[in-house]
Parts: sequence; C-alpha cells; structure tokens
Amino acid sequence: MNVRALAAAVLVAALAVVAVGAGGAAGGSSANTLTVWLQVDAQSGWPEVVAAANAQFKAQNPGWDVDVQYQTWGTHLAKFDATLAGGNAPDVIEMGNTEMTKYSAAGAFQDLTAISFPNKSTWLQGLAASGRYGGKIFGVPYYAGSRVVTYRTDLFRAAGGKIPQSQNEFIALARKIGAKNKAKTFSPVYIAGTDWYVAMSFVYDYGGTIAVTRKGKWVGTLDKPAALAGLAAYKRFFNASSRAPAGSNESAPQPYDVMAHGNAASTYGPGWFTCCVGDYKNRVAQFVMPSHTKGQSIPGFLGGSDLAVPVGGDKDKAAAWISAFTDNASMTALRAKGNIPNTTSLLGTSVNERAARKSWFVPQSKNWVNVENGNVLRTMLQRILSGRSSIKDAASVASDNITYTLNQ
Amino acid sequence: MTVAAEATAHRSRRRPRSKRIAQASVPYLLILPVVVVITAILGYPLYKLVVLSFQQYGLAELIQAATSGAPAPWVGFDNYSSVLHDEVFWQVLLRTVIFTVANVALTIGLGTLIAFLLIRVSTWVRVPLTAALVLAWSMPAVVAVQIWLWMTNFENGVLNYVLTELHVGDYTGHDWYGSTFSKLAMVTLLIVWGAIPFVTITVYAGLAQVPRELVEAAEIDGAGPVRVFRDVTFPILKPIFLILTSLSIIWDFGVFTQPYLLIGSSAVDTTNYLMGVYVFIEGYAHSDFGRGAAISLLMLLIISVLSVFYVRRMVKMGEAS
Amino acid sequence: MVTEAAPSAPQVTRAVPRVASVRRARRRRMRRAAWNVVGLAVFVVVVFPVFWMVSTAFKPDNEIHSLTPTWFPTSPTLQHFRDAMARPYFWDTVKNSLIVVGVVVVLSVVVAFLAAVGLAKYRFTGNKLFVVLVIGILMLPQAGLVIPLYVVLAKYHLTNHLLGLVFTHLVILLPFAVWTLRGFIMGIPKELEEAAMVDGSSRLGAFTRILLPLVAPGLVATSVFVFITSWNEYIFANVILTDQANQTLTVWLSYFYGTSRATDWGGLMAASTLTAIPVVIFFLLVQRKIAFGLTAGAVKA
Repeated sequence: MNVRALAAAVLVAALAVVAVGAGGAAGGSSANTLTVWLQVDAQSGWPEVVAAANAQFKAQNPGWDVDVQYQTWGTHLAKFDATLAGGNAPDVIEMGNTEMTKYSAAGAFQDLTAISFPNKSTWLQGLAASGRYGGKIFGVPYYAGSRVVTYRTDLFRAAGGKIPQSQNEFIALARKIGAKNKAKTFSPVYIAGTDWYVAMSFVYDYGGTIAVTRKGKWVGTLDKPAALAGLAAYKRFFNASSRAPAGSNESAPQPYDVMAHGNAASTYGPGWFTCCVGDYKNRVAQFVMPSHTKGQSIPGFLGGSDLAVPVGGDKDKAAAWISAFTDNASMTALRAKGNIPNTTSLLGTSVNERAARKSWFVPQSKNWVNVENGNVLRTMLQRILSGRSSIKDAASVASDNITYTLNQ
Repeated sequence: MTVAAEATAHRSRRRPRSKRIAQASVPYLLILPVVVVITAILGYPLYKLVVLSFQQYGLAELIQAATSGAPAPWVGFDNYSSVLHDEVFWQVLLRTVIFTVANVALTIGLGTLIAFLLIRVSTWVRVPLTAALVLAWSMPAVVAVQIWLWMTNFENGVLNYVLTELHVGDYTGHDWYGSTFSKLAMVTLLIVWGAIPFVTITVYAGLAQVPRELVEAAEIDGAGPVRVFRDVTFPILKPIFLILTSLSIIWDFGVFTQPYLLIGSSAVDTTNYLMGVYVFIEGYAHSDFGRGAAISLLMLLIISVLSVFYVRRMVKMGEAS
Repeated sequence: MVTEAAPSAPQVTRAVPRVASVRRARRRRMRRAAWNVVGLAVFVVVVFPVFWMVSTAFKPDNEIHSLTPTWFPTSPTLQHFRDAMARPYFWDTVKNSLIVVGVVVVLSVVVAFLAAVGLAKYRFTGNKLFVVLVIGILMLPQAGLVIPLYVVLAKYHLTNHLLGLVFTHLVILLPFAVWTLRGFIMGIPKELEEAAMVDGSSRLGAFTRILLPLVAPGLVATSVFVFITSWNEYIFANVILTDQANQTLTVWLSYFYGTSRATDWGGLMAASTLTAIPVVIFFLLVQRKIAFGLTAGAVKA
C-alpha cells in the first residue's frame, strides 16, 4: 500500500458518495404526493383495504399520488418528533389511542372538527373520545380491539363446562381445573402479574377509577375504597388462577405461547390470540370476561388507533384520504379481519365486539404517557401480588405518583 | 559578509520558506477532513444541545419552533438544578458507576484472557473460536436481546432447562428478572458477551506488534509467562489497553439498548434505571428535551471524570513522540 | 529432568537428547491439548446464542414454540428463510445496507488514518485540543443528538436519503476510529520505525509506507468494528430513513417484532441469520492480515 493507492481509494470512495447522492433514494415528496404513516399491522393484515383507499383517493383527486410509509410500534413516536422538528411531518399519521392526547395538547395536529367524516355520528364512543381534546376533534377513529377470555374447550369441559357468569364462578372453575392439572407451571387462567390492562378492568368493574379531574387538577383515585375493592378482587383472582411470577409482564412470554405449551387452560387478552395457540387451534373458543356482578361483563380496555393530520400537512387532501380509508367498505373489510370497526352501525355480535360494548379508557391527560413510561401501575401490582406491600399502601404510593405526574 | 550575502547563505542552508509552510501545514491538512465532516454535521446539534439545556423545551415548544419560529423560554440553570435535586438521579448514578466497573472489569479481563487463549490453542480450535467471537460481535443488539429474553424466560427458557437437567438445582419456572440485581446481572452478561470479541480481537492484533526477539530474550533469561506479560508485552500494549478501557467505560456508562430492551420497556423504573435509560425516559420519552439535554451534558461531565485517568494517559502519550 | 539408565556410552550421548526432546514435545502437546479443551469450552459458551438463533431459523414452527427446547431441528425447513426474503423490500434493503456500510468503512478508515497519523506523529498547536475534542464527542450520549441532527439533515435535504445516513455514521464513527488508530500508531515501537526511515524522503510518504504494514492489524480491527457498528446501527437509520425502500437491514428487521400482533420468531431468526452473513464474509476477507502480523512477531507458549 502506498500513497498513490491511498489516494486512489479516497477517490473511489468520493465517487461512490456522489453516486449514492445522485442515485440513492426517492428524494423528497413532490408537491402532489400525500404522505401517510400507517402501522405495519395494515401492511401485513389488510393491505387490500389500503390499496382500495389509495385508488379511490387518486380517482377523486387526479394528479395526486399516495406514499404510504409503514412504521413500527415502539419507535414511530420518536420518528414523528424528529419530523415535526424538521418540518417534514407526514400528511396523515396513525396514532395509538393512548398516544393521542399528549400530541393534541402540544398542538401537533390540525383541527378536524368541521369536516364530516363517514359515520361521524355513530363513531364508537370509547375510541372517539381519544381523538377529542379541548372540545375539538383531532383524531378520526380507525379501528379497535378489545379483550376476551380465550380458553381450551377440552380442559373446561373436563372440569364441568359451564361458561362462568361471574368472577366467583370463574374462580371456582379455575380451582377445579387446577385440581386436575397440578404441574408447577400450569395456570388455569394465565395472567401476567403486572398486566395493568387486566387489573384496571377489575378496578373499573367495582366503580373505581385511575384518576379524575377536580377543579381543573388531576387527582389520583386508586386509593379510594372502590378502587381498593377492585384491586383486592384482582389479587384474589390472580392467586386462584395464575402461576405467573408477580413481576411478569404480558409480552414475555406471550400468553398465547403459554397456551401453546399446554401451560394454561385459558388467558384474558386480545381477541386475535386464537391465531397462535399452536396445536390447540381447534380446541379453543372465546367468551366475554364476566363482572363480579352475575350476568354482566367486565369493562374491558379498548385498544385502538386514530388517524390524525399533523400541522403542516394538506388538511383537505388528508381528510379526503382518511374518509376513503374509513368508509363503510373499509370498515366492513376490517371487521372481517377480526377488528372492531369504528362505528356502532356496523358492530356485530362476535365475542370481540360484545366485549367492546362496556369499556374503560385511561385518564385523558397529556402527561398520561409519562405515567405509563414510569411503570407506576406495574410497580404497584408487583408489590401487591408479591405481598411486599399491602394493597392500601401500594395504591397510595401509586396514586400520589399519578397525581404528581399528571399535574406537571 | 554583507547582509545580502548572509541572507543568501541562510536561505541556501535552510529549506525555502514556502516549503516550510507546506511542511508545517501537513498535520493540519491531515486532520482537515475529519474536522470538516464533524463540524458540518455535528456542529449545529452540539450547539443546540447546549442551548436546549438552558431552555424550557417540550413537545409544544418543538412544534412552535418548527411552525412559527417562536423561541422557547429561557430558564437558566433550572433544568440542571431540577435534575441535581432529584434523588433518583443520584441513585441511578451510583448504580451505573457500580455497573460500569463490573462490566469494564469483566470485559477487559475476560477479553484479554481469551486473546491469550487464542494464541495457545491449535488452529482447528482457533478458527472456530474466532468465528464464534465475530458472530457474537456482529449480532445486532436488538436481535441479541430477543434471543437472550427467549433463552432466559421463566416459562420455557433453555437456561432453566439446562440448569435443571444438570442438577444444579430446580430452576423450573425461575424468574431471572425477579430482583433488580438479577435484572442487571442478566444485562451485564449480555453486554459482556457482546463486548468481549472487540477486546479479544484488538488485543490479539496488538500482540502482533510485540517483537518476537524481545519475548524470546526474556524467556531465555528465565521469565515465566506472567513476568513476560508484565515486563515485555504490557508496556508495548499499554496504549491499546488504555484505548479499550477508556472506550469500555464510555460505552458501558451510557449503554441504553440492552438494559431498556432486556429489562423491558414495561419493567424499567426508578429501581433499575441505568444512566442511558434514565436520560431517555426523563428527556425523550417524556418529550422534555431541555431536561434531556441537561442530563446528557451532565453525563458527559461524569463520564469524562470517570475516564480522565485513562484519557490523560492517552493524550500525554502523544507528547513523547 | 531426564534420568535414563545408560546401556553404553555412545548410546547415552545419542539417546539423552532425543528422549529429552521427546518428553518436552509430549509435555508441550499435553499443554496444548489442555488449552484446546479450554478453548472449546469458551467456544461453546460464546457461540451458543448464535447457534440458538441459527438452529431456530431452521426449525418448523411447532418446534420453535415447544415447551422443552429442541437443540437441533428434527425436520429442518427453509420456509422461514423463504418467508423472510419474500418480505417487502428485502433485496432493496440489502443493497442499501451494503452501499452505506461500504462507503462508511472506506471513508472513515482512510480519513481517520490520516488524522491519526497527523495527531500521533506531528507536533502542532491544537494537537491536544483536537484529541480531547475527539474523545469528548465519543462521550456524548447519542440519544440527545437524534432530533437536532435530523433537523440539520432536513436543512440539507438529506432526510430519507442514504447519503444522510452515511454522513451520520461518519460523524459517529470517525471519533472512535481516530482515537483507536492514534493509539495503535503510538504503540509501534520506535526502533521498528526508525530502522526503516529513509533520509530525504518526505515525512508523510515515509510514514504511510512504513506505518501501514505495521499498523495493519489495528486497521483491520478498526475497520471490522466500523463495519459492524454501521451495519447494525439502528437508532439513526430508523429516524432518518422513513421510506421502506430506502431503509437498511436493521430497520427492516424491526418490522418482524414491531407489530402489535404475534412475532414471527422463525422469520426473525432466519432474517437475523441472513443479516450476519456479510459481516462474516467481510471479516474472513480481512482477518488474514491479523494472522500475518501475528507470525511476524508473536508470543508463543
């Protein structure tokens, strides 16, 4: 190697850089391209719905093109922040319903109140609420998913068979199933200890709440009697039916994996779990989780997505695309894939949809995300289930934490 | 001699002035490309980072700055004092220092030992071992975390299975992430596993620079392997060990991906934060960019203090030549 | 040492050296065998997670999700590899990664080497300051730089563009490369350097001609590190490249586990195995330089 070879290498590399610069990428969007950020679930789950919406939009808006860029959960907000700072945010963005409030409050979205979207008057309440802030509409409901009990029909039949109509009946059934399956790692109902979506359902079932606004300030309410009763009920249910460690969470291991291993007779989670229970696929069914009151269902957490228009985007064209993507045809197609549509007019009677009729949602504060990121609820649940704290003490600490964080 | 003649004599003895300037400018030209690239890309972000740390800068301010150009409120040292008065910050700092010491010691120690092992084994062992090290090194952190989680999960992880089968104890259903120490130990194992290859290969490469004659001379004098290392090898390898140690301290102190993903975004909290995770949660997950910038600069200060011993040695070494 | 009954004088004088060397050779072989055992044990521990990843990539789904771990796939399948390669934009992503990493490795090693020579071998005002600046940049937590850096790239119209990522990787990796190469250059014993200096030639030419072979192992280690870091870099690649057609492999990988539904483990493991291949190839290409350097002056047991 000598100096000439060195110079040659630098020259080659410089040429490569120029080549990359010229050829490389698609470059910035032209004036007539609509940039849409959807989550990758759409790419793998219902690409034809996206294609149909694109075709419809292009037909109605000649000269316009649509660039759908798929994002992943977990990093799409960091990317969104960067594009907001850089001034090149997308025209339409899919947001998780718990993510909306923070960005609406910060002024990231354009006001969509005046626009008439399809089925606006019959939007699913639980989902539509997340798109509203300060009396204005910033997000259009896209689709939702609720939680149901997925269970092994053979194991349930062997233990008596009746679908439980109340939590006490479920506990009794769980005990019977546990008596027939004594393996150390077997759970009659597998629930991860810190699965706060499940635990808070119990709290709301007893009339408790996570936090409320009083005179414009947020107050944490997990230490109130109703919430404490709910937490106690959760602890009782967990101890009777789940062998998961107190500190476990619902993503490692996945509950459907636990069922696929034969280590659980049932689990309470999203409706699409039936896809992945391995060899037991033909031996599972679903029912709605019961309330502590006989004959009623527990309020379930309604997860879902909204579609919003960031500032700087073309509001009219973006709204046109959103309308094309959330019309009756699209919603029917989404429902066929196992999702809950955004309008009650199309709501059917599948287990998933029945469970969605009674739902709860997180406090609509712009700081709620910080409570989630700080894992306040999960820490509380771990303390309660491991016995390290009494229910009252753990709830008290969590409640104070929530009050402090939400009022920042 | 006349002045003119003296001057001419001078000029003919020394190099002409233009050539001297060319000669003196060589080092500046050598570092110029690096300076240009770094200034062009990092100049503004570094400036902005410092400015941000003195501002109240959240998501709303970010959006306003991009849309209307409104400047964010100046709050002086408020961000810094709020961080320094937060007891969580000090707990995290202590935890991270201990974590860093453990990781660096394990990485450098084991890495060096394996480098010497590589020399002593036969080729048919050295080649697969080097390949294994490169494969471990090349695995993206996010993939390594997924595999680690899978191997160590309490339900069907292979670690529990192996330990139980080897009769080390009954580890069925053992939760390796139950306590803070356990969580951080798992993170340490993962990081050390991924960091050893670089140390090993660099030390192995450095050993190539040790002249064989010096080693043999020492061995003829009757020195055992430890004395050979201490008297011959280590002095020559000193710059490499200084580099590796300083780099390890810097990386292990600020590591983010492995702890955040392995402990899990749903289980990180004030009891197990490391500095890298802390700055991410406090600054960026909360979208409090001003505070995040302040913590980043504090981290810079702390890391420079922790590594000053090694860095000063490295900087001073340049004066010898 | 050697105690042998001597049958007769001439035989003793010939037998003793031969037996002694045989004994020494046997002891050396036993020592080597012991080290080999240790080496194999270390190999097993280091390679296990990689083995697990590759083995899983070939397992059918039911074996992946089985309760008791299966070490080797009983009925290996290529389905996961086919699935992974059929995913949108796989080959585009491979091309993008190769371009970015190729340019970054060449540019950063060359530029950093020049700067390292300048810092290690020349005295000039600003030398120490520059070294401190370089290490200072290394110490900065990257999280804080993401958004300001994105804003800068947006101003240059380099967002969603491979060139933007190339520059970003350069600024991340140049400080490391300069710091490391400077250390390697300073570690070369002065005697070796002075012995080869030719009077009258320019300092720079002499340096590059003489230093390069001596510092080759260090260059290799640095270039492998730059390759791997750039290849595996995720945070900046993810933020800067929004269009899937422009993304790199690590971002493409994140789509396997970034969905809100079930993760395709077999696919993820197969995809991860595929992304490791170019790194191994690159290492195999350059690793001979280390071995060559080793035989020139190594410590032997």
